Parts: sequence; C-alpha cells; structure tokens
Amino acid sequence: MSECKLSYAELLQIVKVFEASSEFSELHLKYGDAEVDLRKHGAAPASVPLGRKAPEKADAASSAPASPPESAIAFPPGAWVVKSPMVGIFYCAPEPGATPFVKVGQRTAADTTVCIIEVMKLMNSIQAGSSGAVTHVLVKDGEAVEFGQALVVIDPNA
Amino acid sequence: MTKKSAARIKKPIRRVLIANRGEIAVRVIRACRELGIETVQAYSEADAGSLAVTLADSSVCIGPARSAESYLNAAFLVSAALGRNVDAVHPGYGFLSENAEFAQMCERVGLIFVGPRADVIRSMGDKSMARKLAQEAGVQATPGSEGNVSGVEEAQAVADKIGYPVILKASAGGGGRGMRIVSDPGDLRDAFQEAAREAKGAFGDDSIYVEKYLTRIRHIEIQVLADDANVLHFGERDCSIQRRNQKLVEESPSPALSDELRAKFGAAALRLCKHVGYTSAGTIEFILDQDSGQFYFMEMNTRIQVEHPVTEMVTGVDLVKSQFRIAAGEPLGITQDQISMNGHAIECRINAEDFENGFAPCPGLITHYRSPGGPGVRVDSHLFSGYTVPPYYDSLLAKLICWGRTREEALARMQRALGELVIDGVKTTTEFHQLLLRHEQFQSGQFNTRYVEDMLLS
Repeated sequence: MSECKLSYAELLQIVKVFEASSEFSELHLKYGDAEVDLRKHGAAPASVPLGRKAPEKADAASSAPASPPESAIAFPPGAWVVKSPMVGIFYCAPEPGATPFVKVGQRTAADTTVCIIEVMKLMNSIQAGSSGAVTHVLVKDGEAVEFGQALVVIDPNA
Repeated sequence: MTKKSAARIKKPIRRVLIANRGEIAVRVIRACRELGIETVQAYSEADAGSLAVTLADSSVCIGPARSAESYLNAAFLVSAALGRNVDAVHPGYGFLSENAEFAQMCERVGLIFVGPRADVIRSMGDKSMARKLAQEAGVQATPGSEGNVSGVEEAQAVADKIGYPVILKASAGGGGRGMRIVSDPGDLRDAFQEAAREAKGAFGDDSIYVEKYLTRIRHIEIQVLADDANVLHFGERDCSIQRRNQKLVEESPSPALSDELRAKFGAAALRLCKHVGYTSAGTIEFILDQDSGQFYFMEMNTRIQVEHPVTEMVTGVDLVKSQFRIAAGEPLGITQDQISMNGHAIECRINAEDFENGFAPCPGLITHYRSPGGPGVRVDSHLFSGYTVPPYYDSLLAKLICWGRTREEALARMQRALGELVIDGVKTTTEFHQLLLRHEQFQSGQFNTRYVEDMLLS
C-alpha cells in the first residue's frame, strides 16, 4: 500500500465543503491511515452504501464519500436505499412488458414491492422497506446486479 | 491421434468466474492472466478488500460473509456467473469444488465447470463408493467394509473380521473430517452412534464405513491430469506430516518410495482413473503401510489441491493452466514418458494459528508482511501489509514452497525462507515449521503420520 497522507489544511477543506453542502448529512472517509467521520447535527444515519471496493481504491482527492458511481447522484438527506439482498437479475415489472412496480415520484409503503430479483429462475419480490416517495430507480430492467447493490432510492420524508 | 481426439469439441474459455477465495483465487487468476482469460472474482462482503478482488479484471459481490450465503451457495454463484456472461467457473478447492450438484448446475446452464464431470465427482465423492470402484479397477483399498455398513451390528462384524483398531469414517465426509478411531470393541457402539450423528450434522448424511486403522503409515498421494482420451500421472506427494488429519507439510518425491514402488503407485492411479472415466486434475490418496510394505487406496480428491505447487515444482507442469486447457477441450499434448521428476520440493502451510495454544485460529490485521525470495523459493499467498484476515474462513495465510536439487538443499532453502518470512499482527505457525525442520527425525525422512502428534508435539 502506498503512503497516503492527509494534511490538516486538506482536512479542513473537506470539513468546510461538507458543512456547506445541503445535500449530504454524513461523510465517511478513509485515506491511508486517516479515518474521518462527519455527521451533521440531527441527521439520521444514512443508508447510502459505501464503496464495496477496498478502501485503498477510494479516490481520496474527491471530497465525496468513497462509493460506487451512483452516489454521484445527489440523494435527499436521510434517503432510504433499497439494496439487493442477493446476486441476480433485476426486473422492474412483474412480467415482461407489464407496468413497472414503481416509478420516480411514486409513493410507497414499507411493504410495497419495488422490483424482482431473479436467482436461477427463482423470482424474489423485493419490498421498499420504507414508506415515502421513489426518487431514483438506479438499475435497468434485465440488468445483472450484485449483493448489496443499490436498486431504488426512497425519500422517507416526502 | 485417436478417433476420439479427432472428434474433440473445443470450447474456448474467454471469461471465467472464480468461485473461491484466498490464496487459491489468486492462483487461478495468475493462471488465467497467462492464458489470456478474463477473470471475474466472486466475493463475499468479508473479502471486498482481498488481493483476489484487486487482481481480478472485475468482481461481483455474491453475498454476506457467511459461507452458506456466499461461497457455499451454488445458486448465487451460478447466478453471478450468468449475470457476468462468463464461459466457465473455477471452483478452487474446498467449498463447492467437490459438490456434484454445483457442477451439474453449471453444466445445465451451459457453463463450463473447470473440473471433472458431475457424475464422476458424485461417485468419487461418496467415499465408500470410491473404495468399491478402486477394488473394481484392481486397486486394493484399505481392509474394511464393502461400502457403507447397515448399522452398528455390521460394523461390529467387520471390525471383528479385520481386527482392531478400526476407524469409522463418514461416507459423505473427506478431508480428514467425520472420523472415529476405535481400539476397544466395547467402545464401538458408542463411537458408531457419535460418528453417525456427527456425520449427519456436518455432511447431511449419516452413512458410515469401516476401515482397519493402521498407524505406522505414510500418506502418499498421486497427482493426475486427464483429458477425455488419456490419463497421466505426475508422481507422488508425501503428506505424512499431519496433525489431526490436517496436512502441515508436503514433499515430493517421497523419501519412502523406490522407483519401483513409485511405478506401482502410478499404475494403480492410472487404472482407477481410466476405470471411472476421470477428467481434469485429481489426486488419488493412498496409505503406505511401512510394516507390510503394502499400499492401499484411501480416497480420491476430484479437485486441484492445496499442495499442488509441490508437484509443479518437481515436474514443471502448471496444473491450473492444464485444468483450463482440458476444460476447453484441448488435448494434454504430452505422454507419460515425457514426464520426469527433477530435484526435490517441499511445502510448508503457514496458518494464522497459535501452535503453542492448541493451534487456535488467530484472525486479525496483518500489520506487516514480507515474503521470502531467491532461488528455488515460491510463495503462494493472498497476504499484503494491512490486510485483515477475516474470521469466517480457513486460517491458511501462505504456502511456502522450496525446491532444491536434493532434499537437503530443499530443506536448507526452506529454513532460509522461513527465516525471511515476516507476518506481523497475527500468530502464525512459522515457528512451528522452523522447529519441525530442525528436528533430526524430520531431516532423516523417516516418519509416519503419527510423527507430529507423538514425537513433536507431545
């Protein structure tokens, strides 16, 4: 592992950017042997998944949390992310050509089915897990997804 | 060229899913790199930071840390393989590598399973069935029951016939697990019930078979490679340095084998493979009874083994690349007389275990790792400085393999390499191996499978 050092000035800069941002309530950053954990007062812990890759792969030059590409999208504060509980194929609708389970803007209850994950011909209905409104559908119909991959984002406060 | 090879179907492998972890995943990735095969590493959440994930061309998270929901879950692995459009799946060793259902699932969905056919895995995986097949092939198995015993009464009858001590073994077991040694006839009933219960719990099958328990034995195994027309053997590995039926050190050639005996072992291995229609890499395990000079078939491992580098070092073959070539429908391309054993190789398994404390597992953060090097030194490991050994899987950290022109040179190199090896942060068995290598009896080459427990650790 190469030497990664975070200067105090850089750290202050990260804190300032985070404080100024209204879109993020929580920041976890690991850079070399420095670990930074910031949370805005009163914010609920986010369920935004952190990078599934090793910490040393994180692009430390950015001030965003180390995470998969979809977090470049701005999730609302306290966003509830529905993550895939298994590795399989994502389907947005109960059958090919049928109306999708959910679309952006749609309201959900905690037990609303948001998608199907197929594992070896076995169809698994995935529930929202939270009431609110759908803000993002991150995966395309028929796309292969891995365990823990973010599928659908719900704003519980909407 | 035979008629069969002319009709051989070639199935190019362009992309493979590695359905395993740790050092063997790294080994498979290395073989694929050299063959120009693209690698997709399947990993559990606990292995997100692993070397295999870093080295592979891409990776796919298949589940949480728990093996049952990741590396032991056939549906998840096949689902991941299909999702990434791979041509083949390499199962490594352990986990599902000898699971016939997994191999069959791959076959059914059109994935190439890098190993033998499912039906061969099934018959050789049933340990008592394998003994029967060996007998059919003219390969004598350890004196014991013919297949599984129907119950404790039959076990008693077999034991009375072959003589005590006997060992009760789980038919669905293997790798040294699910066994009970019985020296006193009065203990047989209880031991049988315990063994059956344990087997049911560990393997889902309480079938038991009985074997004569021989103690002054050496464990000699023969490495084979087979395509759909020919079988070849690559000599033996002596794996007599064991503790509780787990191998610690392996070497080739065996100090106990003459050329004549080696040829007999090789011929027996080839007979068995031809009889069952074996393909891909495999290892036939025998026990050599030093008192009688007889050898007996014990079991066959239908996978690449942990200690495969020992054979690679003395024969020059790349067994993992060979597995891929065979799986792609390519012929072996060499004949038995083109295989020769050159020099001597020895492997030490370095585990994250406290050998002074019953070999208790010691997972944790490796603060500093430095691997040895120089002539005749090979290290197969997934370690790096800063890596955290997860607590969910086995404790193997590294395999240190040393080659020399003679056994003495190989041992001297191993002592040097063990001295250079640095693994800080967890307790390891490095010092145990250093003690072992300095022990006169080990240096003499005269030991049996009881040596470590009786002579070294007592």
